Amino acid sequence: MRWTYWMWGVLAVALALLPLWPGAVDSYAFSFLFFVFVYAILAQAWNLIAGFGGQISLGSHAFFGLGAYATAILWSGNYLWGSLYDSHPRIYYFDPVTMALSGLVAAVAAALVGLPLLSKLRGDYFALGTLGFGEIVKVLFINGGTFTGGAFGIVAPASTFETLLPHYWTGLGLTVAVAVGMRLLMRSRYGLALIAVRDDEMAASANGIDTLKVKIAAFAGSAFISGVAGSLFTYYLFHVGPDSVFDLNWMLLPLMMTVVGGTGTVMGPIVGAFIMYAVFDAARILVPDYHQVVSGVAIILAMLFLPKGLTRLSFGLPGLMRRG
Amino acid sequence: MFDLPPPAIFLQLSLNGALGGAMYGVAAVGLSLIFGTMRLIFLAQGAMIILAAYFVRALFQSFGIDPFLSLVIVVPVGLAAGWLIYQGLFRKAAAEEDRNISLLIAVGLMFLAENLMTVVWGGNTAGVVTSYTASGIHILGIRTSFTRTMGFLIALAGTGLVMLFLRKTLVGKAVRAASEDMTAASLMGISPHRVNAIAFAIGIALAGAAGVAVATTFPFNPFAGFIFSLKALVALALGGIGSVAGALAGGIILGLIEAYVQFFVGGSWTNAVAYGVFLAVLMFKPEGLFGRPYKKA
Repeated sequence: MRWTYWMWGVLAVALALLPLWPGAVDSYAFSFLFFVFVYAILAQAWNLIAGFGGQISLGSHAFFGLGAYATAILWSGNYLWGSLYDSHPRIYYFDPVTMALSGLVAAVAAALVGLPLLSKLRGDYFALGTLGFGEIVKVLFINGGTFTGGAFGIVAPASTFETLLPHYWTGLGLTVAVAVGMRLLMRSRYGLALIAVRDDEMAASANGIDTLKVKIAAFAGSAFISGVAGSLFTYYLFHVGPDSVFDLNWMLLPLMMTVVGGTGTVMGPIVGAFIMYAVFDAARILVPDYHQVVSGVAIILAMLFLPKGLTRLSFGLPGLMRRG
Repeated sequence: MFDLPPPAIFLQLSLNGALGGAMYGVAAVGLSLIFGTMRLIFLAQGAMIILAAYFVRALFQSFGIDPFLSLVIVVPVGLAAGWLIYQGLFRKAAAEEDRNISLLIAVGLMFLAENLMTVVWGGNTAGVVTSYTASGIHILGIRTSFTRTMGFLIALAGTGLVMLFLRKTLVGKAVRAASEDMTAASLMGISPHRVNAIAFAIGIALAGAAGVAVATTFPFNPFAGFIFSLKALVALALGGIGSVAGALAGGIILGLIEAYVQFFVGGSWTNAVAYGVFLAVLMFKPEGLFGRPYKKA
């Protein structure tokens, strides 16, 4: 079914051209869409390790936070280019090298932690282990002294913020890139190996797949995507602190969005991120005092009535929606 | 090297740690039961404990019911609430193979409980102050607080009752069988929904008992519960997942670790050490400190 590709492609182009609409950049919808992109990227990251890899990780917020901190530290300390252009403090706003390095920091951390965790722990024990890991990282950053700014965190050089336009386009570009990458990955040898590991680890290993290597690669890849999302968020908030970027909601909400959209599908995380963020934001606007209560109810209702995810409802939309 | 503090300090630290840790322990016993039958990490347990604490406070302030006396109300209410929560929220999800669904329902329940408490009682820190809150006993140069000792006794009694129930009654044996192997248990005619509901009822009732202990000992706020859930998970892993007495012992060990780290290293490191121990136990002794190693298949 080729038309679903066209549909998503047209949607992406329309979203990319949206800022040209007069007044769109200053509208509420614009910042709403930016947050949808951030959550969609995070949901894709979680989906890679948990949906396709079958390893439920409850520590993905740690990688988001690591990426956010990496950007803030590199940026505010001018570490990257400071020596090259010494006397001129050069602020690299949306510096692609910084963003990639932030992802890399998270990916390296994931590989280092994943080696013992993924080789030793399975199923629920892996989930518990990653939850513990996330809390340890948070405490390490609180006790990091001047390097991490302690319990307060780091304020990024704030003079450059003028418009949400670069955030929007970067967010959209990353969302599209991650979705396309996921699609290609899941068609590749490696993606098939990952799904084989999820479905039956023993059979996969009997067929010559190095299961540990595949799982660690997926864990690191997922962390890389989360780290880049964290970097993007630093450029938005201009402040990272242990309680804001290591907040458990950076793991719980993407997890929920993925499940609502459809675990182990390529487009499910994006659909889930859009719908759940719309519900949360609507609640925030309509019933500000009770919006968290509404969020709780929304999660419970979604799980009671849509346990398989939206994209698996039989609308006759195969193609991109298909599992794997 | 630093000078060792006098032995009374060690006694005092051990006592404080053990008394405080018993509260993690009783939360862990509830988690252990729910995890045993449903394989669900019930993250909302801490929020249930704080909800119970607010309930105890409301009973005390509105009707003047003594917090410890309110156990006779809180525990039956907890049993009923647990049963209802299972039947209303988890019954359908328990039949699904994908366990993310039950985990997310637990998360939704946690959000809901935390924020309902904020709406009803406000987000500020609350506490229950009775005539005996500040009283304590001095023995051998160390001081024990009356409320903490009562909390410890509640934890011991709660765990003891649950163990008696699991060992001596037929229903309890069914719960234990289901924890070991749900498929085999249902082939023997044990209804999965019934054992799950019983595990939930007992788990929430224990949260109620822990809520009484928390209300009388600590100041609390609606969002204090989550850290309790995490600490209870650590206690659970220390004691060996699936063991009731182990969960209580794990809580006490965690309390001791925290008390010592707090005194010798510093308060800001207690959580890192607690979770570090947690990871180490999961990796090198996943059957818990007291469990026998599993036979390799």
